[in-house]
Amino acid sequence: MTQSPKVVITGTGAVSPYGAGVFALTEGLFSGSCGMHTVPELEALPMVKTKVAATVPDIDFSYIPRRDRRSMSRMAKYAYAAAKETLQSAGYAVAPQGLGFFMGSTLNSISVWLEVSKNCLQNHLELVKTSDFLQIMNHSPLATVSQALKINGPCVGAADACATGLMNVGLAYLAIKQGVVSQALCGGTEEYHPMFSACFDIMQATSCNFNDRPGEACRPFDKDRTGLVCSEGCGLLFLETEESAKKRGAPILAEIIGFSSNTETENMAYPSAQTLRECMEMAIKNAGISASQIDLLNAHATGTLVGDIAETQAANAVFGPGIQVNSLKGHLGHTMGASGSLELIACMEMLKRQEIIPTKNLCQPDERCAPVTHVTQLEKHPVNIILKNSFAIGGNNCSVIIRRPL
Amino acid sequence: MITREEIIRLTNEALKKEFELTDDQLVPTAHLQQDVGLDSLDAVDMVVVLEQKFGMTLRQGYDIRSIVTLNDLYDFIEKLAREHEAGK
Repeated sequence: MTQSPKVVITGTGAVSPYGAGVFALTEGLFSGSCGMHTVPELEALPMVKTKVAATVPDIDFSYIPRRDRRSMSRMAKYAYAAAKETLQSAGYAVAPQGLGFFMGSTLNSISVWLEVSKNCLQNHLELVKTSDFLQIMNHSPLATVSQALKINGPCVGAADACATGLMNVGLAYLAIKQGVVSQALCGGTEEYHPMFSACFDIMQATSCNFNDRPGEACRPFDKDRTGLVCSEGCGLLFLETEESAKKRGAPILAEIIGFSSNTETENMAYPSAQTLRECMEMAIKNAGISASQIDLLNAHATGTLVGDIAETQAANAVFGPGIQVNSLKGHLGHTMGASGSLELIACMEMLKRQEIIPTKNLCQPDERCAPVTHVTQLEKHPVNIILKNSFAIGGNNCSVIIRRPL
Repeated sequence: MITREEIIRLTNEALKKEFELTDDQLVPTAHLQQDVGLDSLDAVDMVVVLEQKFGMTLRQGYDIRSIVTLNDLYDFIEKLAREHEAGK
């Protein structure tokens, strides 16, 4: 029986609240800064308790050719920038033949949808332009970026809300393992709209006690946390077989050694520790390693009351209290569909630097969280294998395990 | 009655904004596809923005293949405007 190929990561691209580029992302994270700020639209809504979000600073996208840009929503432009950077970092000026593309988002562009809806509600459907329609298709960023960059392999987008980015990495990993493609671009993209904050606010899952100190608003595992801070961005990775990378002399940044996914069916919004535990255990089994070989758990941990507790309970059950845990949501906020892939890029940088980014704003761990070893200071530490979690509203869970290049 | 000059000004204004064009691209003899760079998708959106601009329906009887140059477009709009004004 032919052994399935090793899957490696040879390129990355990002747009985040730190701006465009992986360098901005990693420098921002390692320096401990964050891009959170108060949002005027939220301040104008007295019923919405949270007033804070993290957004991508203005980027001039006029360099994207008009014919490509006309059908791109903001999140598609983020994806275009990230895809160009990813290809370039993988050593390609243009997309290689047959490149697969796996990317999705939680929602399509709400701002464009609202414009279109206005015409619909006023019975003026004749005013809807084709370019508007192309911006609100469910797979709009995937379609427009693949057209713009001539990505001609299979283009498939998983849309699993907050797990979208990591789920697409998992899909690409499986597609390469199965021989469907030998190279793939993968991840997630998202654009912020105050509606995200308002919806999570109704679910009582937003940060609302630190509106006067936006930089302290998202506090994963901390006793004073009340919820997440919505954010936006795009993170993409270039995956290929080890053979393909070696053949063309591409530097290997990390290896993906395990992936798993399962679904919480008891409650759409509240994950159970048991289901999360099973998800991580399946990934570890898939990687063919033992739990004790994992050096770091990069948690999904968005700073919600119940989510953080469930994840620590699951982590404690899988690894015991000695497992080092961090979350990047205190820095980035919850970039939703982009979170898994953006944070995986940060994990790769931690492997490279042999340095672990601490959980921002974690001052005093919540006693209701199960015991784990929280990383609270930037520290040099041998890190060879990281397990990264992403869990979505809707119950969609996934875990990816990456290893430092041997 | 709307003048031809006004039709040209309003048309150019709409095209410049929608398709990021410059004045020097908008000469009457310019070929919409080859010189101005509009493709079939642009042509569809062009109808929507011009309908908004002129407050009248263009898509009925509209045949993009018969409109090759900017001048053809001005002619087409002027013809419809005259019919519109005559209450046809």
